[in-house]
Amino acid sequence: MVERVVSREKYIFAGLIVMGIFFLGFLLGFVIDMKRAEYIQKEGRINSMDFNSLQLQYAFIDQLSQEKNCDAVSKSFDSSIDQLEAARIKLEGYDVNAKINKDEFQLLKRDYIQAQIRYWLLSKKRSEICQDDTVNLLYFFSDPKECPECDNQAFVLTYLKMKFKNKLLNFVFDSKINDEPMVELLMKSYDVKTFPTVIVNDKKFEGFVSKEVLLKELCEYSRNKTGECSGI
Amino acid sequence: MNLIIKAVLWIIYLISLYFAVFWFIVLIDNEQKPRRKKHKEKPFVSIVIPAYNEEKRIKATVMSILGLDYPRDKIELIVVNDGSKDNTVKVVKKIISENHHFDIRLISQSNKGKGAALNNGMRNCKGEFFVCFDADSFVEENALNIMLPYFAEDNVAAVLPIIKVAKPKNLLQRMQWFEYNVNMFYKYLLGRLDCIHVLPGPFSVYKKSILKKVGGFDENHNLTEDLEMALRLQKNSYKIIQLKSPTVTTIAPDNFKALYKQRNRWYKGSVLNVVKYRGMLLNKKYGDFGLFQLPIVLISGLMTLVMMLAIIYYTLKPYVKGLYNMSFVGFDFMTFIRNYTFHFDILEINYLMLFVSLVIFILSIYILSKSHSFFEERYMKFGMLSVILYVTSYFFILGVVWIGIAADLIRGKKQKW
Repeated sequence: MVERVVSREKYIFAGLIVMGIFFLGFLLGFVIDMKRAEYIQKEGRINSMDFNSLQLQYAFIDQLSQEKNCDAVSKSFDSSIDQLEAARIKLEGYDVNAKINKDEFQLLKRDYIQAQIRYWLLSKKRSEICQDDTVNLLYFFSDPKECPECDNQAFVLTYLKMKFKNKLLNFVFDSKINDEPMVELLMKSYDVKTFPTVIVNDKKFEGFVSKEVLLKELCEYSRNKTGECSGI
Repeated sequence: MNLIIKAVLWIIYLISLYFAVFWFIVLIDNEQKPRRKKHKEKPFVSIVIPAYNEEKRIKATVMSILGLDYPRDKIELIVVNDGSKDNTVKVVKKIISENHHFDIRLISQSNKGKGAALNNGMRNCKGEFFVCFDADSFVEENALNIMLPYFAEDNVAAVLPIIKVAKPKNLLQRMQWFEYNVNMFYKYLLGRLDCIHVLPGPFSVYKKSILKKVGGFDENHNLTEDLEMALRLQKNSYKIIQLKSPTVTTIAPDNFKALYKQRNRWYKGSVLNVVKYRGMLLNKKYGDFGLFQLPIVLISGLMTLVMMLAIIYYTLKPYVKGLYNMSFVGFDFMTFIRNYTFHFDILEINYLMLFVSLVIFILSIYILSKSHSFFEERYMKFGMLSVILYVTSYFFILGVVWIGIAADLIRGKKQKW
């Protein structure tokens, strides 16, 4: 009869190697997380500098009644806000993959929420100074459990952004970022209780808002009645 | 739900990596070669071919046996016709009449299955050694002279040759050619730990006395009697030796339907047999076979099934979700096409998963290369495209088989050999 053997050493050795491989994987993940955080921080610094510059430019226009320069400054504004949005989306993606530095990414998220609010306020000011027809849209969402329709709403807003380009500025706020008092303040001031909530230039829509309703609303503010707004 | 799927996939990654590393350790460990003994006198060998509707292939198979380099007075060939509905009987009778100088017999029985055909052959044979030979295989002429000396110890119940795919013609057969080479190498490693769990149909040599002692082939178990026999021999602590040579070539299915049918039978049979011998599962008494190999047999199919379903789920999910989302914007695809920008961010990659997958991939490529060099084959024999297709798509073919098996088992569908 065959003498039955249990290759204990081999099992243990294989287990140790597998643990080693996973440890290396985690180490690699940690290094990558650090790189991601560094990258976002760098983007944040650039954006913050851009913001300060924009603030200065609008103050200059406002103080010296230089409305003729509005177009040139608006281009910088659009480009900065596009970069901010791109960085926000990146941050969301990194946060999903982050294994170790979750806290660091939460802090970065706060940074970006604050930046968005600053841009929103500046955009409101720009509208006053330059008399432009850009629509500011605030979008408050929650997690899929609490808000199953938020995903569809986000898709509709992305679609409208593609249509209106820089004539529509979407400012997105995650209601689950509890540790940012500014979000709470915004929600209180607009009395946001349900999700999704969309605010178009101070007009509040609760629950899912269809493409058609939003299109009609956006076109009301638009001076250009051709293209997306023709026939509305 | 997503969290559960991810957790299950991570467990599969972990197990796959553990298996790959474990067998790598077995590979680099010192090999204890099985003992050989030269028989004073050539022993008598009985070769049994169970045949069911084999009129097209039986002649080539028999001629392969007749070409064996072994004394004619020490060998007999028995073809057991298992109730064929074609001209198998006629063809065999013609072969017999043309080869008087060789001891060939034809036994006919009503269709009872391969196990019963093999037992019928065993009851009517006189050899000390019993060789099972499928009617779609061809053997090297020196096979018996190489294999028989390995019955050096009393506990050796079976000695197995290497099986390769005969002259692969199309892509599917080429993929199976790779698969057989890798599997044979794996089986060779299994043999080092006394963990062989299947005795293939083509030219497995048995010590007849042991076969009789354990009760012959299972006649009720029509799916994989060879696997059942291996488990029974393992349960009774007999030794099965996998050799590096001789080579037996076998005709592999040349279309997906035939491959699906064959693999459905094999894999379903392996699951049902392991369930039948569940007492050995994780049982220390059976050493590595019970603790490691049997659980692998049982869960490898399950892992393939889960991976396949996960791949289908993750591939289709964004498209289904995308289509659903599009319904909210009136299916205005043009806006998305016009605004499409290619986006790739290296930092967005899930590096832990990539790293583990890379380790498994490198080990797989190493095993692919090693298994071919071990049997003196070139894995680039059929060009790069075949290798790429084997590595990337063969898993999906087997995945489809496992989905079919799961559906059959759920429906309680029965199948014959």
